[in-house]
Amino acid sequence: MITLNVNGQAKEVDVDPATPILWVVRENLKMTGTKFGCGVALCGACTVHVDGKPVRSCSTPVSEADGKAITTIEGLAEEDGTFSKVQQAWVDEQVAQCGYCQSGQIMTATALLKNNPNPSDEQIDAAMAGNICRCGTYVRIRKAIKVAAGNATETQEA
Amino acid sequence: MRAVLRASAPILVIALAACGTDPAPEPTEQIIVREPGAATVPVVEAEDSLLAVGKAAFNTCIACHGIEKGGANKVGPNLYGIIGQAAGAAEGFSYSEALASSGITWTKEELDSYIANPAAKVPGTTMMAGAITDAGRREAIIAYIDAVSAN
Amino acid sequence: MGKWTRRAFIGAGVAAGGALVVGIAVRPGNPIDRLSPLVAKGEGEKLINAWVKIDADNIVTAIVPHVEMGQGIFTSLAQMLADELDADWSKVRILEAPADAKYSSSHIGREFLAPNLEVPEILEPTVSGSFLSLATAMTLQITGGSFSIRGTGQRAMRTAGAAAREMLVAAAAKEWNVPAGELRTENSMILHDKSSKSATFANFAAAAAEQSLPAKPKLKSPKDYKLMGKAIARTDIPEKSNGSAIFGIDADLPGMKYAAVKAAPVVGATIEAIDAAAAKTMPGVLQILNMGDFVAVVADGYWQAEQALATVQATYSKTEGDELDQDALFTRYATMLDEAGETDGDVETEEGDVGKAFASAATKVEAEYKVPFLAHATMEPMNCTAWVRDGKCDVWSGTQSPLMARKAAAETTGIDIDNVAYHNAYLGGGFGRRSEMDVIIMSTRIAMATKYPVKMIWSREEDTMQDHYRPSATSRFQGGLDKDGKAVSWSNIHTHLFDPQEAPTVPYYNIANHKIRKIDVPTHLRFGPWRSVDHSQHGYFIESFVDEMAHAAGKDGYAFRRELLAGSPRHLKVLDTAAKMSGWDNPLPEGHGRGIAFVPSFGTIVAEVAEVDMTGKKPKVTKVYVAADPGFAVNPDGFAAQMESSVAYGLTAALYGEISVKDGAVQQSNFHDYPILRINEMPDVVVEIINGDHKRLGGAGEPGLPPLAPAVTNAIFAATGNRVRELPLSKVNFA
Repeated sequence: MITLNVNGQAKEVDVDPATPILWVVRENLKMTGTKFGCGVALCGACTVHVDGKPVRSCSTPVSEADGKAITTIEGLAEEDGTFSKVQQAWVDEQVAQCGYCQSGQIMTATALLKNNPNPSDEQIDAAMAGNICRCGTYVRIRKAIKVAAGNATETQEA
Repeated sequence: MRAVLRASAPILVIALAACGTDPAPEPTEQIIVREPGAATVPVVEAEDSLLAVGKAAFNTCIACHGIEKGGANKVGPNLYGIIGQAAGAAEGFSYSEALASSGITWTKEELDSYIANPAAKVPGTTMMAGAITDAGRREAIIAYIDAVSAN
Repeated sequence: MGKWTRRAFIGAGVAAGGALVVGIAVRPGNPIDRLSPLVAKGEGEKLINAWVKIDADNIVTAIVPHVEMGQGIFTSLAQMLADELDADWSKVRILEAPADAKYSSSHIGREFLAPNLEVPEILEPTVSGSFLSLATAMTLQITGGSFSIRGTGQRAMRTAGAAAREMLVAAAAKEWNVPAGELRTENSMILHDKSSKSATFANFAAAAAEQSLPAKPKLKSPKDYKLMGKAIARTDIPEKSNGSAIFGIDADLPGMKYAAVKAAPVVGATIEAIDAAAAKTMPGVLQILNMGDFVAVVADGYWQAEQALATVQATYSKTEGDELDQDALFTRYATMLDEAGETDGDVETEEGDVGKAFASAATKVEAEYKVPFLAHATMEPMNCTAWVRDGKCDVWSGTQSPLMARKAAAETTGIDIDNVAYHNAYLGGGFGRRSEMDVIIMSTRIAMATKYPVKMIWSREEDTMQDHYRPSATSRFQGGLDKDGKAVSWSNIHTHLFDPQEAPTVPYYNIANHKIRKIDVPTHLRFGPWRSVDHSQHGYFIESFVDEMAHAAGKDGYAFRRELLAGSPRHLKVLDTAAKMSGWDNPLPEGHGRGIAFVPSFGTIVAEVAEVDMTGKKPKVTKVYVAADPGFAVNPDGFAAQMESSVAYGLTAALYGEISVKDGAVQQSNFHDYPILRINEMPDVVVEIINGDHKRLGGAGEPGLPPLAPAVTNAIFAATGNRVRELPLSKVNFA
């Protein structure tokens, strides 16, 4: 039995310690917001935080989370459902298309802004380059990150 | 978008609609190991030897790294015989500039510090994940790689 | 679009798509009644017609017969219905239509089965009706072809909204005993200003359902649009921003198990034997199945299934396809094109006398272009969950064709379709891949063997190697210019696997003599629709060759195309807009270039200008300007997002996209050898929308893609003089 700290809650799971965090979260904990995209840490769809650092949960064994705090996309919003600043920027800028990669994108962006509240364009691109979006929402992702950082005017809604 | 556009497909689809088809055939071979809810068949006793732990732990690495002798490179290079090799040596693998020119020779100690935090040891490496913080697990994985490579 | 005649509307609803349902909405005993239990669930809910329902809380539910895969049509289709209905948008909900034949899409059947068919209006209902029957028989209920708005939206959703409004007004007029003309509707309310009476839609919903259907519901003209033409926020974006949106891969059932699969690497091979000795001992494993064409391992978890599958050794039968490699593939194309010579091949279009015109042309231009197979690489790998037991079957996935999925499951299991339920979810990318039924069928077969629910997930490797690819192709051109550099002949022969048929033709370019031929080439690889289908390669081929002709004529690409489009003001406006946006005549720094490309497709006219920086080791696309005329953009922000999306998808293909074959199998497997464009390579995209004809709408999902690759390669030529005739660009050494 392994006890995990997921989004501030203790969860006990009976899994092989080599099991990637991704599958423990999705299948044992039934939290499907974190997605499977490639299984080899190349697409970023599986991004979660371990002690606040973004990791690719598809390639990180659950043993790595021992004694640490895991945060998933489900843990970003307030308890009453209010979106985080990054999530709200994602909605205001109408970023998502199919939406499948966006949990990972938001997790990476959230970690970026925590470490670097005022990133330059180059820093945004470098930090986000590990997260693929097949629908090509990159232009809006850049904008949403700047909006969340308080560095851009929000797009006017019609 | 429309399978019907293939030359053969519309006819196929219409035929299906018109006369129905036989249901799919039985599997050629069906091996039922156990029913849901039944305990996993224990074939070997759970071992806690270093090699057993290492083998189990290597399952996290296996998505990217093969370990069979002469095996193909995958997303990461094949690791058969890596201990003692120069970094960047697996034939046909496209290493990052950083790793290829690192000058590292993969002693067990060097492997250990790399697996602990690849991006810190070799900034620019394309190994995006797979860091193992627990020293004991790293030791087990390295022992496993060593043992496999001895064959 | 045509006019609605009384017969078209009501007579068995023989006009396309929605008209069928609307037409029979209120007659007792007619098929709509059978639909009511599927949709109208709550007490007090009335099904006015099958496209809209209004409940006791005055909530309008738009029933959308299409799937949401990122194009935003859940929202924009509802926008169209709600606008005509005069509904309060804040009280509009969206429901995906159940997989039922009554929602089948005849438009797509019509467009692709009888393209360019000019039908006199009086016959339209019959023609549409026959296509609807065919479509129903073919179980089409498809999202794709960039037609959700221009087909279903324009014909069904708006008509349904307008019809429902008129019926509500008729009911109120009757109850209040006032002329219908004195009533107006606004924000889900009916108002009689003269007597200051007002009531909610819900109040009259029941009575409205008893009104006779209007023969000709009046649709709004653009000046009266309240919601259409507005960048309304998409209703599904919030749940896609907090992880709560459910995709096919997120299906969850009690007692559900997981399957990992591996099909024979060479299409057509069978699995002769498997050695599962190691897999049997691995943790979590429940079953190992040799299905003949694929191996499946079923386990308590997906990761366990995948680990065990990796240890299964399979031997495959030999096939003819084993011999094929990339060189042989293109050699095959070249040989068949050579053999066709000047006269053979299927003529797709012909006008004038190309032979004569080319022979006597002052300048002759010839070129050959090649493109490889391309994978769809949706972010969500292929997956499907199925449960077969006790004469029942339930299937969960994300598909572009829910009704086809239901039918496929019924046929695979042999269970009567009434006992087969298909449940659709959001798609993590469609792009044409999810219109195929292979995944549904595989999953159902596994479930038949296990009898408990099984979620089958394809690894990224399986997804890449077992795709239905955008076909590879070779295309050869001969173009003739007169002494003034005017195009006088255009001859093209190309290899062909797919459609739409108009993709290689250029009717909008004014070239007196043209002849376009195709030769069908066999391949054992599976191919299928990929975003913009054959426009994706023909756009590149055609717009590259136009550029080569321009260069041979001593003119720039923009000026040359202006001449070719001289007779088409609507097309010209789009081209001019793109050029203006890009500052076409402004000089660029050394090593930078601009390229222009123009492709009308799926009813939308698009021109793109790409700016490329060639000063580094590889091309860097810095800016793409997109001018697009979709007739009318129902949701301009959604439309712009689709242009941005198409640019990214097209640029990935242009820069990197290559599926290659060796020993009959696909060589690529994951994102390390099938790279996808990342944020640091994404250019700035500027989109300008021209609403050129609000009566004839064009699509949004695909038209932005075909011009991208040629705009980029034309820009590379402008910067370096290097003409790229084969994609992807990663094969070219620009050093």
